[in-house]
Amino acid sequence: MNQWQPSASFELIRLRADTLRTIRSFFHQNNVLEVDTPSLSSATVPDPFIESFQTRYVPLTQTMQTDDFYLHTSPEFPMKRLLAAGSGSIFQISKVFRQGESGKKHNPEFTLLEWYRDGWDHQQLMTEVNQLFTLLLSPHLDLAETRFVTYEDAFQEMLGINPHTADKKELLACTEKAGLANVLDEDEERDRFLELLFSHIIEPALGKSNKGDSGSKPCICFLYHYPASQASLAKTNNHNGQLVAERFEVFIDGMELGNGFHELNDANEQRQRFENDNQARKLLGLKEIPMDEHFLEAVAELPDCAGVAIGIERLLMVMSESRHINDVITFPFDRA
Amino acid sequence: MANYNTNEFRSGLKLMIDGDPCSIVENEVVKPGKGQAFNRIKIRNLKTGRVVERTYKSGESVEAADVMDTDLQYLYNDGEQWHFMHPETFEQMAADKTAVGDANLWLKEQDMCTVTLWNGNPLAVTPPNFVVLTVADTDPSLKGDTSGGGGKPATLETGAVVQVPLFIAIGEELKIDTRTGKYVSRAKD
Repeated sequence: MNQWQPSASFELIRLRADTLRTIRSFFHQNNVLEVDTPSLSSATVPDPFIESFQTRYVPLTQTMQTDDFYLHTSPEFPMKRLLAAGSGSIFQISKVFRQGESGKKHNPEFTLLEWYRDGWDHQQLMTEVNQLFTLLLSPHLDLAETRFVTYEDAFQEMLGINPHTADKKELLACTEKAGLANVLDEDEERDRFLELLFSHIIEPALGKSNKGDSGSKPCICFLYHYPASQASLAKTNNHNGQLVAERFEVFIDGMELGNGFHELNDANEQRQRFENDNQARKLLGLKEIPMDEHFLEAVAELPDCAGVAIGIERLLMVMSESRHINDVITFPFDRA
Repeated sequence: MANYNTNEFRSGLKLMIDGDPCSIVENEVVKPGKGQAFNRIKIRNLKTGRVVERTYKSGESVEAADVMDTDLQYLYNDGEQWHFMHPETFEQMAADKTAVGDANLWLKEQDMCTVTLWNGNPLAVTPPNFVVLTVADTDPSLKGDTSGGGGKPATLETGAVVQVPLFIAIGEELKIDTRTGKYVSRAKD
């Protein structure tokens, strides 16, 4: 195939256009305002497992390099600044950029649908994600009933361990049993073991058609109440005596499509988490990221709200049963 | 010894895994939206031919295997070892039964083969995709049957047994696809 040609078929290029139109009309009907925030920003996310593209601003009349800028990895920070300023519920469809993420399900530049619901929690937002997904997917796929499973139940069901309380010994034994011995050093943090088990054993089974049942269908599967240590930008709360993150992810047929939070609006806690992230980056030998002070100021004013980000390419892959992300992108990274 | 970082992983890359030389068949990046990335690879053990899966934390390094393919001419078999020669340097090399494996069914003297070397020693032998071999034994041919319908076994000069059309006779030269072990046609001079 000639490299100048698109890797997506015109059928799937049209599917993308139809999908974006349906999404916009869905939010229009639900009174969620479409917004546009910058792709280029003086600050970025300090998450040690997300790397931002970095660039420089050079004024026209001089060649001297000046300040660093980052391409956003999600529009989360400026969208929360809008919410803090009183926007009410908002959505955005934007291109985002992440270093190093290239593969069958990853392209370093991809399309994110992100939206926030003013006054909602993660449970209400999961219901809306389910509505939107059902609307988009049902013309293409025969779906079984949507499942809502806690992170803990998924681990108990598939691996027989409690992810919140299992100690290192149990986690080591579990990875060994799963054929994943020696992937991680014993002194790695608990969360790395949970992430390994999650991405290799649990995720591939989420939203999959039931084993053995030949006529069975895939489903939309929500996983919620992540370990508090994986809260990211979500609130933590006690549920059934266990401190958990009010965070969810959504999967179909073994593939992650999105991540949502009942948004943290405690600025001190948020700053502490960013500092912990930078600490972790230092240990991994990565560059520390400057604090986004505009964002941290806005967090203090952030109303109670829930937000979610959905990968549009992943959604298109599910709709068209594509095995490679390049099938739904006109010009993927290697021919862009 | 050189190392490869997981970000250099691609199919065909040769790695040392559990003390054996292996070749990457498939490399998949497993990266959740939030959290640690892993590289899950399918690898072929070049000694046993077995394909297994392995996972590495992204960013780790794995020892490279000193494995290279070289085109050598097959000379003869002394009963224990198969002898090969480099066509330009005339350097000779002997491979044992483990390295030659099923390739012995298709090795014909003077043919060029791909010999995979590990640390300079023959690890595997791959015959040419197509070889021409003489029929040593088969049931009498059915003259006039050129329909290609049906077939019979024929033993070739190397000892390999292949299904051939009924019209094939002893002494004929046949073109064989070594990847499938199947008869292709009569050899045309």
